[in-house]
Amino acid sequence: MGPGKSVNMLPLYRAFLSIKIIVMKNIVITCLIIVVCTFQGQAQFSKATIQASGLTCAMCSRAIDNSLKQLSFVETVQPDIKNSAFTVLFKKNETADIDALRKAVEDAGFFVAKFTITGQFNNVAIKNDEHIAIDGREYHFLHVQDQVLNGEKSLLVVDKSFVTTAAFKKYTAATNMQCIQTGKAGGCCEKAGLSAGTRIYHVTI
Amino acid sequence: MKYLLFASFLLIAVVASAQPKIGTLSPEITLKNLDGKDISLSSLKGKVVLIDFWASWCGPCRKSMKHLSAIYPALKAKGFEIYGISIDENKDDWKKAVAADKISWLQVNENGGWNAPVANLWKIDQIPTSYLLDKQGKIVARDLEGRQLEAKINQLLKD
Repeated sequence: MGPGKSVNMLPLYRAFLSIKIIVMKNIVITCLIIVVCTFQGQAQFSKATIQASGLTCAMCSRAIDNSLKQLSFVETVQPDIKNSAFTVLFKKNETADIDALRKAVEDAGFFVAKFTITGQFNNVAIKNDEHIAIDGREYHFLHVQDQVLNGEKSLLVVDKSFVTTAAFKKYTAATNMQCIQTGKAGGCCEKAGLSAGTRIYHVTI
Repeated sequence: MKYLLFASFLLIAVVASAQPKIGTLSPEITLKNLDGKDISLSSLKGKVVLIDFWASWCGPCRKSMKHLSAIYPALKAKGFEIYGISIDENKDDWKKAVAADKISWLQVNENGGWNAPVANLWKIDQIPTSYLLDKQGKIVARDLEGRQLEAKINQLLKD
């Protein structure tokens, strides 16, 4: 599948190296760093698969293609007839903006019916109904088993305006946290170090 | 820099105004067919021609081609031809779709998607988009479907 699939292992490897060096210096600090790193997880997303819908065939419109291609982090946009979806490959080393992708679809006169984001994971521990930072952004996993993600994984974004209304209701029921309604951290999350208003992407596997 | 800007504005203006309109002669199109051979629209002069913009990943296009497949043989015998332009960026996808749908009319591909020169010139904002040309190469109608299309083709064939 094109250039976006290539894995950028170098930064991950570097991070690993730096931890190793510190091990020799100070074991206590190392433990702390490992804890933080495990909590934050390391992953880089390489592509999104977006199913857009509207009154007419979304893939058959120039507007949506142009709208997605105008985003600075987008490398290519490929229509996929089997899934009636767009595969959007990201430029290497650029952080994709999930909300910008949704907005691009909406600006073209369509809306997102299904949105998955795929990337390479390296020891990312996730827990059901908990927040975790991945690639500099906050994610809230719903309907998942606690597990450690490795290799290529796809996450289904279940925030409002990323799924159908019925599906959104189902995922809303999966958590008591209020962030699912707005996609933003509420006052409750400040204890966990998240300032109120921080964007939290709600995802499942 | 100023001149460059001016020149590009001029170019945009020329391209924009050159968009083919109903009632005018169609501009020439030359694109490559499945065998890599150039096929010119002008080589079809004397025939009633349907220019059909499509792509393998466009569901509605594939559906409309099913209808075309049904009416094509009888009309071709009377002097009708279809000039199908696929805007697929992946040539293999195009070839597979032509084979899968058993398309027997002229097929050319303009690699480059929506922003390729011909699709741009014809201001293709969505597909399928089709233009019907009379025997002289004049654009007669756009996006006719079903019975309306068949009736118009038959009428033009009699002219």
